[in-house]
Amino acid sequence: MPVISLTVNGNPVTADVEPRWLLSRLLRDHLGLTGTHVGCDTSQCGACVIHVDGKPVKSCAMLAAQADGAQITTIEGLAQKGKLHPMQEAFRDNHALQCGFCTPGMVMMSVALATEQPDLDEPAVRKGLEGNLCRCTGYQNIINAVMVGAKAMRG
Amino acid sequence: MYEFEYHQPKSLEEATKLFADADDPQFMAGGQTIIPVMKQRLAMPSDIIDLGKISDLQGISVDGGALTIGAMTHHNEVAGSDEVRKAIPALAELASHIGDPAVRNRGTIGGSIANNDPAADYPAALVALGATVQTTSREIAAEDFFTAMFETALDEGEMIVNVTFPAPEKAAYEKFPNPASRYATTGVFVAKTGESVRVAVTGAGACVFRQIDFEKALLGDFSPSALDGLTVSTDGLNSDLHASAEYRANLISVLAKRAVKHAG
Amino acid sequence: MEKYGIGQPVRRKEDVRFLTGTGTYIDDIKPDNLIHAVVLRSPHAHAKILDLDTSEAETMPGVLCIVTGKDWVAEDFQPMPTKSAVNKKIDGTPLNQPPRHAIAIDRVRYVGEPVALIVAETLVQAQDAAEVVEVDYEELEAVTDQIKALEPGAPQIWDDIEGNFCIDFELGDKEGTGKAFETADHVVKLKLRNQCVTAAPIETRGAIASYDKDTGKYFLQNATQNVHANRDTFASVLKIPSEDLHHMAPDVGGGFGAKNSGYPEPSLLLYAAKKTDRPIKWIGDRNESFAADTHGRDQATTVEMALDKDGMFLGLRTRTVGNIGAYCWTVGPFTPTGGSARTQGGPYYIPAMHYTGIAAFTNTMPLDPYRGAGRPEGSFQIERIVELAARELGMDPVELRRKNLMPADSLPRKTPMGLDVDTGNFPEVFERTLKMSDRAGFAKRFEESARKGLRRGFAIAPYLECTGGGPKEFAGVKFGKDGSATLRVGSMSTGMGQETSMPQILSDTLGIDFEKITYVQGDTDATPIGGGHGGSRNMEVGGSAVLQCAREVLVKAKQLAAHLLNSNADDMELKESVFTDVKTDQNVSMADVVAASFDQSRLPDGMEAGALDTDTIFEREIISCPNGCHSAEVEVDPETGTVQVEHMWIVDDFGTIINPMLADGQVMGGVAQGLGQALMEEIVYDEDSGQLVTGSLMDYALPRADSMPKMEMAFYEDAPTAKNPLGVKGSGEAGCCGAPPAIVNAVLDALKEDGVTHIEMPLTPEKVWRAIQDAKQQGA
Repeated sequence: MPVISLTVNGNPVTADVEPRWLLSRLLRDHLGLTGTHVGCDTSQCGACVIHVDGKPVKSCAMLAAQADGAQITTIEGLAQKGKLHPMQEAFRDNHALQCGFCTPGMVMMSVALATEQPDLDEPAVRKGLEGNLCRCTGYQNIINAVMVGAKAMRG
Repeated sequence: MYEFEYHQPKSLEEATKLFADADDPQFMAGGQTIIPVMKQRLAMPSDIIDLGKISDLQGISVDGGALTIGAMTHHNEVAGSDEVRKAIPALAELASHIGDPAVRNRGTIGGSIANNDPAADYPAALVALGATVQTTSREIAAEDFFTAMFETALDEGEMIVNVTFPAPEKAAYEKFPNPASRYATTGVFVAKTGESVRVAVTGAGACVFRQIDFEKALLGDFSPSALDGLTVSTDGLNSDLHASAEYRANLISVLAKRAVKHAG
Repeated sequence: MEKYGIGQPVRRKEDVRFLTGTGTYIDDIKPDNLIHAVVLRSPHAHAKILDLDTSEAETMPGVLCIVTGKDWVAEDFQPMPTKSAVNKKIDGTPLNQPPRHAIAIDRVRYVGEPVALIVAETLVQAQDAAEVVEVDYEELEAVTDQIKALEPGAPQIWDDIEGNFCIDFELGDKEGTGKAFETADHVVKLKLRNQCVTAAPIETRGAIASYDKDTGKYFLQNATQNVHANRDTFASVLKIPSEDLHHMAPDVGGGFGAKNSGYPEPSLLLYAAKKTDRPIKWIGDRNESFAADTHGRDQATTVEMALDKDGMFLGLRTRTVGNIGAYCWTVGPFTPTGGSARTQGGPYYIPAMHYTGIAAFTNTMPLDPYRGAGRPEGSFQIERIVELAARELGMDPVELRRKNLMPADSLPRKTPMGLDVDTGNFPEVFERTLKMSDRAGFAKRFEESARKGLRRGFAIAPYLECTGGGPKEFAGVKFGKDGSATLRVGSMSTGMGQETSMPQILSDTLGIDFEKITYVQGDTDATPIGGGHGGSRNMEVGGSAVLQCAREVLVKAKQLAAHLLNSNADDMELKESVFTDVKTDQNVSMADVVAASFDQSRLPDGMEAGALDTDTIFEREIISCPNGCHSAEVEVDPETGTVQVEHMWIVDDFGTIINPMLADGQVMGGVAQGLGQALMEEIVYDEDSGQLVTGSLMDYALPRADSMPKMEMAFYEDAPTAKNPLGVKGSGEAGCCGAPPAIVNAVLDALKEDGVTHIEMPLTPEKVWRAIQDAKQQGA
């Protein structure tokens, strides 16, 4: 089994991984980070989106072995010292989640969008979320939250 | 997923050797197709040879009128590259519509064209722009590269190193995405380079193809109206849950006109 | 406590854990010693099982147990019960209800039907073993369409059920309706379909079963929206008393009806857990979700309307044939019969109505309630025929609707379908929607679209629906000495936010600290009964139970406060968490009253420590009638057939609004699913082979962020219902009722110059394009 070293939410991690383990499986089953969800097998739903070296990636479409040396942030690593990240706060304020299952991926993608395009507009948010499915909210509140969260992130 | 051995070579030589030594090896680029396929147990390679860390396969460069993109360049890098936007904006645009942002951060041009999914976007760009595929052993013209559905001219163990695109005078890509998968139900890439016009269609047939009658019509008059009255035959077009051959034929006409208009 | 009171947009308690990745969904639970199961499913739509050989699979590494139909026969396990409120045919004979076993015994009748459960130490080992289970099938002819299934000579799904016929049903005045049609100036007729769709919650189904051999009790954690009813189902299958099965739902990632059903897998897991003496987890993948989650809608309907010369509605006749799949599932044929019948005619005054519903068996995954369960179908039927009537009579569709709405002063009224409509003001809701819709600006937007070569259309669709689900609900509150309260409720949220809105009701009524209320749901050990979630009943029945419980607490708290103040309970007034004697102005805080309730020395005679703890059961007598109006503006690209819904305006009458932020969320979520049905979603089976074509998210399209229009919402709050103490009417399913007809009719409005009068849902680009081409050819 390959031994990999990576940083997860700021913590160094070394793990023996089977080649066939997905990164999502390493996170969920072996590191106990169950906030990263798996909702499909074909990369459509986006519930498993995390950041790998600062970029949003579908962790169910990446092997754990490929994360050797990577800096990884999951939904659990977003809030700092008990304080919600501005995007998490915006999601709560705008009722941008219902069942919460798509939420971790949705928030991680939104943080990435706002980081890459600090002044993103509504069409950019809609397009930016094309790989994240939500079945509860109808998206409007998510879009509002991303706009508010992005603004808060700009400071 | 079935068991396999995982390798992450740092050089082409190492990758070639790993491939030669394995029973039933499979190269992996960004993994955005092969990983889902393996997850569903639809493929069982003995060895996965991950090409993502080979430096010779990275990077975007411009030399004179030509743009060269390393095989392991991610879609988002192409979409966001100043060089690409300057040389061939239509190519950056195309890359920005593949999959979704997370997929674009892993998926690569080399992986996409080596897989030759009939609904992939890049093949249309390669064929329309007259690109050249540099492999570990030769140069292959785009038109010779894509041979059939999910098949290419690549030999066993042959790897794509990079793709070189001559910069066109005008070019544009219009895609009609499948509402579920976001692949191209049909996509049309139109390029005008000097005395040549090429119209390449993806998603509509078993493999990317050129719409020759459109090209001829556009050669004399590069405007949408030049395509008026031309109809597309349904012969060889795909018919599936999402679109019949007749509908795809219509999309080819509509998208080609829009691409010409878009190209300006 | 105003901030957390009824009517306030209180931010959700549950969000903090969901936003930080610390929610606990079924796949996040990992008991010690956990083993894993996969379900081997039928690859055939219809086949006999000639032989099933597990001998090689049993020798595979890690394999612990394989369950097949042979075990089910040997153990004499019982079929899963169906509870349909409609269970007699028109001729009075009982419905045809074949046995529904949790696992195929000797024949499979739909792709995805469980054939074996393979249990192993690891998931991969179970998957490996599943591949070597040998099943010898003899394929039979399959039929997946309900109309074809009822035709003579169709493949027979059940040997003893002739013609694949489950049940027929009628409601309303057949003769009177017939007369209305005879005397009518105009009769309009339309054949339409509500296609087969599926809920597709982003969390797939899954469960963990275990067995305690010391106590003989089973424990099931399950991604379900109904723990009590499903406990009883599984217990009856396994022939154990219900109290021997503790059934809990963790955080559930969306349900929409599909997680209400009693499914096969939990019984298989419970049986295997006892056999292996290990906790077993099964998590369905997305393919299994498409193949083996219950489906929704799937009705082929003929709807006819009779009108007089002025366009007044005289009669409505509907005949629908529902596809209920291979078995009667949890509520069997209810959806296409009683479920669609009750709200026929929508909010219009129609003197005579008659509804006929037929349910047919086919070789598909069975149907069960999906968000709305018949009412969206009914709403679509009436709104489409009204739109067509306007077209055929050359009338303005807005005006035609306006003149036929039930006048406000006609309420309360029992419709010809027997629906008891007590309060509401349909004309007012309609006009408000219209006013919001910026009709004045339409012409300009129409021109702008036209300049781009696009069509623009508008439609308005009022709806009237009703609630459903179990009529009884439990609520119980237990106080802590520190002023905290634990609220247990038998209804359940799978994302709708009752962890917040239920405490709002308690806090509002009792003045106890919202932050100190802990909410418990989805646990058969915590509440004696529970109706879970279905039929928009959470607030209506669950919320009413909470209010009733709070009011019972209040009576006792007033007595205690009066005792503490040496005054009379009748003089106690609770305001801002303080009881004040209206005569003496003396006061005592609710927190102090709660503290006193634990101190025997401060209690009056007859009260025991903990006296404020209260359990109650609320029972709904009559279902309520949420109603409202949607309007939609759409843009259509005639060259590709692409539809973009640009804007929707929605006014809803849900009676009292507990939390407007959450109610808005319900509306928008319902609209998204309605838009999905209108434009892109469809479960498709191959006609010949019966194979499921839309088995993944690569082929079954769900709405994305860029599919959705801008939505503007408002509530009409002047007509709370008297049918329950909260005055609520239920908000969960309304969006699915209004959106499909508003969107579809708006598209047809956009294409009226093209001569297009009807397109079947989903209005995919190709169908829209084809409709334009066909109309062109006909016109030529």
